[in-house]
Amino acid sequence: MTTIDTIHATDPTPTGTKLSFNWSEFPWWFIGILATIAFPAFKILTDEEWNEGFLFIKDGLTLTFAVTIGGFVIAMVVGLGVALARMSKRLIPRNLAIYYIELIRGIPVLVTIIMFGLVIVPWFFNLVGISLQSTIGSKAIRASVAIGLIYAAFIAEVLRAGIESIGSGQREAGMSVGLNNRQVFRFIVWPQAIKNIMPALGNDLIALLKDSSLVSILAVREITQMSRLWTGRSFQFFAGFMILAAMYLALTVSLSMVLQWYERRIATP
Amino acid sequence: MKKASRIFVLALAVVLVATACGGDDNLGGDTVTVAVENLYPPFNYSDETTGEGAGFDYDIWREICTRLDCNAEFVEAGWPAVIEETGQGAYDTAADGITITEDRKEVVAFSDPYMTTIIKIMVRIDETRYADADAFFASDGILGTQVGTTNYEVATTLTPESKIDAYESFPVAVLALLSGDVDAVIIDDVAGQGYQGEGSEGVKLLDGDLSSDSLGFIYAHDSDLIDPVNNVIADLKDDGTMDALIKKWFIDFEA
Repeated sequence: MTTIDTIHATDPTPTGTKLSFNWSEFPWWFIGILATIAFPAFKILTDEEWNEGFLFIKDGLTLTFAVTIGGFVIAMVVGLGVALARMSKRLIPRNLAIYYIELIRGIPVLVTIIMFGLVIVPWFFNLVGISLQSTIGSKAIRASVAIGLIYAAFIAEVLRAGIESIGSGQREAGMSVGLNNRQVFRFIVWPQAIKNIMPALGNDLIALLKDSSLVSILAVREITQMSRLWTGRSFQFFAGFMILAAMYLALTVSLSMVLQWYERRIATP
Repeated sequence: MKKASRIFVLALAVVLVATACGGDDNLGGDTVTVAVENLYPPFNYSDETTGEGAGFDYDIWREICTRLDCNAEFVEAGWPAVIEETGQGAYDTAADGITITEDRKEVVAFSDPYMTTIIKIMVRIDETRYADADAFFASDGILGTQVGTTNYEVATTLTPESKIDAYESFPVAVLALLSGDVDAVIIDDVAGQGYQGEGSEGVKLLDGDLSSDSLGFIYAHDSDLIDPVNNVIADLKDDGTMDALIKKWFIDFEA
């Protein structure tokens, strides 16, 4: 028996049916998502009220992106620190890390944002004499940091799982060729871990983008706040929140597609 | 013949009495759901000690229902969605110091105005930068308010929108004022006085009136309550009850 015969025998798709349309495997849900976005998009293009609403709300995109990207960078940096501390054999760093993760996971995201953004940071900055209207004290920065610190706890657990998934053999192999601890992590463990955790990290990024809507409670002008401002004035609640929902959906679905493409790109064949 | 005329006189008497009582203005013990925010003292708020709703809106609707023979049931609703919800019939009426505007009339029906308020600027008690409201708008200070209010709309005519922070509710805007996120809050004088009474000793109202608003209750456009309640509002004004309620909640009020 030749190798070629073996391949043909296990190929589930016979050559003759390759061109025919596969009804059961076609991504119908995706057509549904596109249609869901297309309805408000069509109304924006044809209806004056919807158009006005979209033009007003879209100005919030800058801050939505800023909070999402800023928050995710903070979450990755802090999260990596927390993950390393969590895996430490030393008592204090390990307990501090677990304390932090349990603290954040035990309090609703909205409550943490209100506490951090409206109570704790204003109190602390007033104590040390930093103006809340300075750049560093601004609510946009507070919003990004709040979201970043919250997601740091979630991402820390993802990173820990990824790092622990790399077998000790890899570490030992690195050591045996003369790498130090830092080099083993940087060149051996991290590149493999990041591949394993890409799907989970991508999920957290999308969840973070959605949760950025919660910072509207701080009265910063991201898209949720903008739609609240517009509907509060125009009373077009249906249009305002349809536009908002379609914008989030378009953002999350596109982000998800980019992430899937990137996962395939870095995947080990 | 005599009997027939007696019946006629009796019937006439009944009609006259019924008319004198206001005829249709009896709701026969029906429940009227009144939407309130419970975040807008002294119109409506949760009492610190009892946790029960209290305020001007509670008193006036209980009085209206006493006179119309209805049962006022208060439910909490979020601002500004309550306007849309009431327009769709989710509540029989809503009371939240709601300014009567042409835009809102497209969504809901308004009662006759029951009082007028003046929009003012509230600042921290130790504020020295602004002598009056004009001085504030001449500066580049940040102004806080509540989302979806006429206060926000008035603010947009006086300062760039980027300098206005619209919070979820007025208590949060006042918190932001006290902590220094905003330099002033644009608020109705009656509500502003409410905060000064509500133990927030840290704020004061600046001189200078920005706009005068008439407040009304709102209903769905097809509501049967509009005329009966308007009659009661007129009576309350005539017999001094309205003045007494306004004095109680907006002048003497200290929670």
